[in-house]
Amino acid sequence: MAIFGLWVINKAGGLVYQRNFADGLAPLTSNEYLVLAGTLHGIHAITSRLSPSGSSSGVQIIEGETFKLNILLTATGTKFVLLTSLAETTADALLQKVYDIYSDAVMKNPFHTPEMPIRSEAFDTRVGTLIGSGQS
Amino acid sequence: MTIHSLYIYDRHCTCVYYQDWHRTNRPKVAAEGGMLPAVCATIYPTSQQPEANAGTTLTFTSPRNTLTSTTGVVVAVSDSQQQPAPLLQANPTSVGTSSSGLPFDEEAKLVYGVVISLRNMIKKLAGRDESFVNYRTSGYKLHLFETQTGYKFVMLSDPKADSMRFILRQIYVGPFLEYVVRNPLVKMDSREQGIDNEYFRASVDRLIRGLSVFQ
Repeated sequence: MAIFGLWVINKAGGLVYQRNFADGLAPLTSNEYLVLAGTLHGIHAITSRLSPSGSSSGVQIIEGETFKLNILLTATGTKFVLLTSLAETTADALLQKVYDIYSDAVMKNPFHTPEMPIRSEAFDTRVGTLIGSGQS
Repeated sequence: MTIHSLYIYDRHCTCVYYQDWHRTNRPKVAAEGGMLPAVCATIYPTSQQPEANAGTTLTFTSPRNTLTSTTGVVVAVSDSQQQPAPLLQANPTSVGTSSSGLPFDEEAKLVYGVVISLRNMIKKLAGRDESFVNYRTSGYKLHLFETQTGYKFVMLSDPKADSMRFILRQIYVGPFLEYVVRNPLVKMDSREQGIDNEYFRASVDRLIRGLSVFQ
């Protein structure tokens, strides 16, 4: 049970927030994170078109052998991505709470420019207490 | 719980085999030259020779009907000239027109692109040689199994299904090795032909239909 990191991707596919919580994944440069976020954004769009029956949402969970990416797509197109270990079961609930905090600390902040990187201390600390407290 | 489709890609990024079971969004017939012959007969573009097989006695009615073979040769290879066999669909003639999905060649490329991108992403994030296993949307779940030789087995199943990796591996060690690798008539790695043949198709079909997740 571990939470490795959190990304927030804006509706254009740009990474506006990225934070690591636990070790276990490779440390990457901020440029590499930007590229990965862009890729994920594209993949998300394609996966909803590949549905074999009926309509489908975009990708929600991507699993590797030791970790997974949980993706929450909001109604406005912002994506919250939580990188966790495979055994983590609370990821969905955590993402919802992160979205709550985002609405409170970022969207209600008059100094925040939409779609731009999130530089809010309140968001940082509240996410830190939410996810930091869940860590063993 | 069900299984929708199976794609096999070789190391040259080309789709060499396709089979589907429960699919409502069926792919359209591929564009001319968009896919290799002997990948899946029902969606292979057929504009020529509409009555070519009308006079011949050898008409395939089912992938299991291998006893009609006039040669007596056990190993089988799918003939690109043969008329599309009504494999598992009730009405193969309506497949191309009634489906609302993408043409097959485009769909196959999208699936491959997604799988490769995710594989690279997982590898980069993990920082070691870790493979992508599956992803899930609200409508389906995609599973990947990759062999040492670069063949990629991709399966689309119900979103609630468990990991199908071992089943993809079973397809590899069972039907694939038996009817493709050990079949001298299959030109593997040729970039000109898929690996489809009646025995392989029937054997995969039997394996999948025998699973508890397949209903």
